[in-house]
Amino acid sequence: MRYFTQAFDYDHSWSKVVIGMWHKYPNPHCTHVMSVDVVDRSVDPQTGIIRTERILGCKQRAPTWIVKLFGGSEDAFVREISFVDPTTQTMTISSVNLSLAQFAVCNESIRYSPTPDGRTRFTQSAEIESRMALWHSVADRLESWLATRFEQNAQSGKLGFTDVLRQLWEEHGSEQHQHA
Amino acid sequence: MAQSLAPECTSLKLKYDACFNSWFEGYLEPAVAVPSTDRAAYARAKAEEYDRKCGAVWGSYRACVEKAMEEKGLSELVVRAREASTSG
Repeated sequence: MRYFTQAFDYDHSWSKVVIGMWHKYPNPHCTHVMSVDVVDRSVDPQTGIIRTERILGCKQRAPTWIVKLFGGSEDAFVREISFVDPTTQTMTISSVNLSLAQFAVCNESIRYSPTPDGRTRFTQSAEIESRMALWHSVADRLESWLATRFEQNAQSGKLGFTDVLRQLWEEHGSEQHQHA
Repeated sequence: MAQSLAPECTSLKLKYDACFNSWFEGYLEPAVAVPSTDRAAYARAKAEEYDRKCGAVWGSYRACVEKAMEEKGLSELVVRAREASTSG
């Protein structure tokens, strides 16, 4: 089992960050994300909480040893569930891999909430665990590769989203930003 | 906005995303500011508005992407992930 966590603040209000979330892809830092589809969404008429289920398609070139051992292709899919709660000003996002899920599971949790000074705190954690009683050294290498990829993607996600928010809210002005 | 996993659904997806984003951008800040006594009425009115504005394009887009996921063998993986999920 490998763990990953990071936290930092975006320089925009919670509302702007949460609106920006739906504009995050495509962005040049995250070219591995090829497709994003909403497969379910509801607006709770009592609480105003918005629940969204999305499927993200990614291309990640896997090392030859992974392809040989586990098969699979360059296309990998992730299921993401998010809740936007305007009352508590919280957005939570949890994701899990659909591809290669019989071998290893990467569970990611993200939370966006306001800071006292009007910015937005981002916290991200992930647990990566190979599922089967794999030959120990193979399981270890698989976890290690997945954890490295996760850290690289987390870093590029931060850079990419920072740019997206800047373009959305600073370059066009907040009143007349263009829908990408 | 990113493409759909199925090229034939991308134009519907972009229409749906534009509809949702436009609705959401009008929804969020008032939803944060609304007094708790008016919250349920606001949520109900906005949920109805979302259905009225985006319901039709959502239905077409969803049908397109569900068919494509079935063809790619993704639907079964999603069902399994839903069953295993503890977060909703």
